[in-house]
Amino acid sequence: MGRFLLKRLVQSAIAILGTVTLIFFIQRLAGDPTLLMLPEGATREDIEILRHQLGFDRPLIVQYLEYIAQLAHFDLGQSLVQRVPVADIIAARLPYTLCLAAGALLVAVGVGLPAGILMAVRRGSALERALMALVLVGQSMPTFWSGILLIMLFAVTLGIMPSSGVDGVRSVVLPAIALGALTMATYARVARTAVLEELERDYVSTARAKGLSFRRVVTRHILRNAATPIITISALEIANLLAGAVIVETVFAWPGLGQLAVQSIAARDFPIVQAIVLLSAFVSIALNLVADLLYSVVDPRIRLEGRA
Amino acid sequence: MGKMQRRTRLRLLGLGILGLAATVLAGPANAAKDVLVIDLVQEPSSLDPHVQWNPDSYFVYRNIFDNMLTRDNDGKIVPQVAAAWRQVDDSTTEFTLRGDIKFHDGSALTADDVVFSVKRITDAAFKSPQRDQFNKIVDATAVSPTVVRLKTEGPYPVLLAQLTKLSIVPKAYVTQVGNERFNQAPLGSGPYKFISIQRGVKTTLARNDAYWGDKGLFATAEFHAVPDPATRVADLRSGKADLIVTINADIADELKKDGKVKVLSVLSERVAYFHLNSLAGPTKDLKVRRAIAHAIDRQGIIDGLMHGYDKPATIMLAPVHVGYVEGFKGHAYDPAKAKALLKEAGITPQTPFTLFTAPTFDQRVVQAIQQMLIDVGINATITTSDFAGWLKRAQSSPAEFGEMTFSRWSCGCQDADGVLFPLYHSSSQWAKSNDPAMDKELEAARASLDPAVRLAHYRRVHEIAEATVPLVPLYQVAILYGARKELRWTPTPNESFFINRVGWQD
Repeated sequence: MGRFLLKRLVQSAIAILGTVTLIFFIQRLAGDPTLLMLPEGATREDIEILRHQLGFDRPLIVQYLEYIAQLAHFDLGQSLVQRVPVADIIAARLPYTLCLAAGALLVAVGVGLPAGILMAVRRGSALERALMALVLVGQSMPTFWSGILLIMLFAVTLGIMPSSGVDGVRSVVLPAIALGALTMATYARVARTAVLEELERDYVSTARAKGLSFRRVVTRHILRNAATPIITISALEIANLLAGAVIVETVFAWPGLGQLAVQSIAARDFPIVQAIVLLSAFVSIALNLVADLLYSVVDPRIRLEGRA
Repeated sequence: MGKMQRRTRLRLLGLGILGLAATVLAGPANAAKDVLVIDLVQEPSSLDPHVQWNPDSYFVYRNIFDNMLTRDNDGKIVPQVAAAWRQVDDSTTEFTLRGDIKFHDGSALTADDVVFSVKRITDAAFKSPQRDQFNKIVDATAVSPTVVRLKTEGPYPVLLAQLTKLSIVPKAYVTQVGNERFNQAPLGSGPYKFISIQRGVKTTLARNDAYWGDKGLFATAEFHAVPDPATRVADLRSGKADLIVTINADIADELKKDGKVKVLSVLSERVAYFHLNSLAGPTKDLKVRRAIAHAIDRQGIIDGLMHGYDKPATIMLAPVHVGYVEGFKGHAYDPAKAKALLKEAGITPQTPFTLFTAPTFDQRVVQAIQQMLIDVGINATITTSDFAGWLKRAQSSPAEFGEMTFSRWSCGCQDADGVLFPLYHSSSQWAKSNDPAMDKELEAARASLDPAVRLAHYRRVHEIAEATVPLVPLYQVAILYGARKELRWTPTPNESFFINRVGWQD
């Protein structure tokens, strides 16, 4: 276990450094934000003065080393456009993204898992077909469209939900549904497949032969064994929720990191983009680590030392 | 029966009390509205009025700060912080300030604050993106607490127009708290005070009841950041927002079907144009440039895509610009003539033309123009980059530029110098033409303080431009806003917004 963790830690550090380096150079390949910041008609001289003051006329490697040195001191720098410390901006936006992701996960797990299990145990029934339709809708509606539809129906026509922004708990409901729909569909499909696979195993027949009720077989035995694939997709899906939030946050004017990322990329506000990518890398790596640790909890046959 | 009556009476009494309460709470009809909500596209990138240049920011901060001068709803330059001004010599202007302006902390606005503001924004080390608009000011001195002299690098006829955009910041407060803190808690002298900013959500301002000028009608104003246009419309229609910005003609038509909202529009000082490369490629030939000018159906674009809101332009200025001259006919839509000119120039369908663009511009217009060019036999291919990439290419050398691009220009100064000099003068990185006669006229117009002399030079500029076609002027851009029916506001051509000019009628 100790060796496993140490190895993973080293791997993670390399992955993060690589990500940070990649994003640093990729962004700069396309130029710098000087031109975007200036009004129309700024003269060549003014452009050069501003570029020099911002430090973008220095060699890339100098800029990179300075950035790495800053990072080593846990300094994320200052936003070029807002002229506010990046850490302040991220700290203000992060809670909104977490709140939205939690809401979406609630929708996804709360609806998706039971739907998937029901579809498996009631295979071939009308209920399965109805649930399958729900899953298909969730999977095929793009969020920029379903989001607008939800707003038009619940905010404009019915007037029972806020159309955008952040006014208390009610504001998170529509964006959470829009964002959670796709993940809900994934959970339902994976849960269905996993449960179906387990249903055909010998131990199910044995348990039934021993006289256990079908409900007990499902809850006590099948679900536990079907958990491994569900944990795997959870790690992926939570990362997806954070990424999918880009569109939902824009549609619902939700002030999370996704919206900030889009705007900062368009404005070439490099320090903010770098910080968001850094944070996302951390989250993805941490989630995968948690998933790996959870495998051994639900399935003692999996030994982490062996895997590492 | 008696019970029923009592119940009815009670109910009526209840209704009466409710009605009374509503009347009392509502007060006079035009003051019923307490909070004005405006949906912008993004949050202001900063509230320090000197460190950015974008509409989402100045929509907000111009209410917190007073500008040196301002424009009234008719576009005329009128006093604000400066009550009067006179020309001392060709390059020196003396401004007499109102003596009665107080910052929101109660301190007086004096000549020192004006000098500080000018020096702050023109200091290269301060990195202000707006520096370019003020860098002709080489010195600022306080003659007395209410008199300031500004010295420019030679005669500078656009000074007053630029000063309508100079926000005056409090020297004492800024030096005491520092730039970073000032950005987060701005303090000015304007009709509204900064209350709070909730990052990514909204900026809240409160009325300055001690304001020296017209006080705002609304006790509170909130500016929300709503990036998706469809969501801004939903906000407006559901009553969450009272005014929304940046909508297109299609959305405007949709809003017109809703009886609770309306569309406000103004022909702005922004002019759309099709820039041609006169220095390289096939467009180097004047015949080809004239052919392109004849191939574009402006009225067709305006009727078909802009639903008639915009107005055809024959020169690169709008009537609200100093330097606008009436009577220019431009190049009429004439595909037959275009084809003939192309034939003369030896252009074949094999000659490649690059039309570069960015998603920032209305792609329907860009594609319509492409089709019009193809219709007369120009093999135009569209290449797209992000806006930053577009900016870089539009200001690149003629060899890298390509043949043409669509754009829209506003200097926010309503003066020909801010439009024609960067687009037509050969020293500018925007210009893709080189005409010594043109340069001479532009320089002469910039060097004179006499409006009649300047207009004469600009008339020549328009004549040369019509003859040499460095670009094709297309249309004066209409800016559209969505508003609640009750809102009273006249949008202005310079895309400004002042809360104390907004009314409400239930």
